[in-house]
Amino acid sequence: MTPAGRRGCAALVGVAALFAIPRVTGNEYVLALGVSFATFSVLAGGLNLVYGYTGLLSFAQVGFFGIGGYTAALLVTEQGWSLWTGAAAGGLLATLVGLVIGYSSLRLSRHSFAIVSLSFALLCMIVARDWVSLTRGAMGIPGLPVPSLSLPGWQWRLGRPSDFYYLLLAFAVLAQALIYVIVTSRLGRAMRAIKLNEPLAESQGIDPLRYKLLAIALSALLAGIVGGFFVFYLTIVDPSIFDFYYTETMLIMVIIGGPGSFWGVLGSSAVLAALPDLLRFTTDLRMVLYGAVLIATMLVFPGGVGGWLERRRLRRWRRPRPATP
Amino acid sequence: MTALLEVRGLTKRYLGLTAVDRVSFDVEAGAVVGLIGPNGSGKSTIVDCVSGFQAVDGGQWALDGHVLTGLPTHRIARAGLTRTFQAVRAYDELSLLDNLRVAAQESDGVGWLSSLARGRRSRSAEATAGARARELLATIELTEYAEAPAAILSYGQRKLLAIAAAMMARPRLVVLDEPVAGVNPTMIRRIEQVLHRLNAEGVTLVIVEHNVDFIMSLCGRVVVLEAGRKIADGPPSLIRNDPRVLAAYLGQRGAAELRHGSP
Repeated sequence: MTPAGRRGCAALVGVAALFAIPRVTGNEYVLALGVSFATFSVLAGGLNLVYGYTGLLSFAQVGFFGIGGYTAALLVTEQGWSLWTGAAAGGLLATLVGLVIGYSSLRLSRHSFAIVSLSFALLCMIVARDWVSLTRGAMGIPGLPVPSLSLPGWQWRLGRPSDFYYLLLAFAVLAQALIYVIVTSRLGRAMRAIKLNEPLAESQGIDPLRYKLLAIALSALLAGIVGGFFVFYLTIVDPSIFDFYYTETMLIMVIIGGPGSFWGVLGSSAVLAALPDLLRFTTDLRMVLYGAVLIATMLVFPGGVGGWLERRRLRRWRRPRPATP
Repeated sequence: MTALLEVRGLTKRYLGLTAVDRVSFDVEAGAVVGLIGPNGSGKSTIVDCVSGFQAVDGGQWALDGHVLTGLPTHRIARAGLTRTFQAVRAYDELSLLDNLRVAAQESDGVGWLSSLARGRRSRSAEATAGARARELLATIELTEYAEAPAAILSYGQRKLLAIAAAMMARPRLVVLDEPVAGVNPTMIRRIEQVLHRLNAEGVTLVIVEHNVDFIMSLCGRVVVLEAGRKIADGPPSLIRNDPRVLAAYLGQRGAAELRHGSP
């Protein structure tokens, strides 16, 4: 079997195993970790597309996540939409906002994008807290209703923890498949070219702005939709959805997994998804610990797991070879 | 017949300094034209201007009759004018094959959806690009490293890779910014051979260089700049003896070297 085929089989087995977990154990703690993994894998995967592949440091993911959450919650509670249309609307609104931020700031430089994305995330939090007539302020919107999905002959009421586990896992699988298709395509190759050497890419006819906007739009769409699902899992949305700790968790996943490494980031999302919960006992120290881990990784393990694999590949090629005539 | 590249009155100012001052020249299709001049004479600025990396303050240029003035770099590249860089550039983490294939992908007209779905057009474009890439790798004699990341290449090999990448999309004209600067003599000869071969395949070349021997042996015509102005334009034999070039650019010692060969 080819390496790609082996990897595909391993991925299928992994997904099947994840879907089987609720049948093996009804343990809510395990399911909560699974939901956390699914959610963060989408957020980190999107960030990897923007930062790891295209080279744009972005702090905006959490903003897209929260916009999706608020949009879905408000449309469902105030307009009577279903979670599905609400989350889709959240994803689309996040995409639109992402395109506006990207288009306006990327014309300057990639540093201006990083700064604008950070300001955007902070602004989201302030809007959520202070625009009380829209967002209901610091108290947020509690008691989000139990969503259900009705198809002809089939009704699914997402009342148990395992239901949200299935929902978020299914969406994460879809999102990861989409990201994988992109990064292994010609588009992903052009994105990497832009990250590695933008002037060279331009001189070869690549329009960096188009690819950057594509990466931002896709990551915003995925983060917005998963935000919509996630707040209904929590049954509440409040300004803490924009908390910097989400950003830090995503960043740590991408940096330890290796920016630009699909499997590295997916793997580190799985391992690190447990982190927020394990560190629950100390909310304040958590940020300090994250910062320390980030700095330590950059110092002793630059490029994360993906970077380590890349260095191994380089060493293999640099090994002395028999002289050629 | 009009020239392939026509540059008319190109002007570029940096604050008070006029780096390029109303420079005009033509490049005939199939030619190899050298662009020489002392440091600061405006050669690299001209490269940056015609390739769209710098906005110009005046003048126009056209490739095959299509005005390129003011277009962004990627549009100029797609119109058929590509370049290499003085500080050699490559995608270190990509394989040599991918370094080359990515250089052609914006010119094959395959849309994003077909690229994502690996549609028939996308696959056939990739197959064509792959074949072209292997052909170029054979020309620059790096076939055995086709799958290796570009980071393992030596400086001279990177220069060759950059030249090959600039040729990938089958451009009409390639501007080479100091293709042999900092390269050892053996590699210089190889680069010369490669450029000869690519020119024979129909690519028009404009070469910016300090290495006078290299320019004189490769170019059919030489344009000489000094302080942003064109001071001479003609075949190497005339340039060698042009008094203004000898005085302004080469000086007395350089003039002697030219007449009697390098010491």
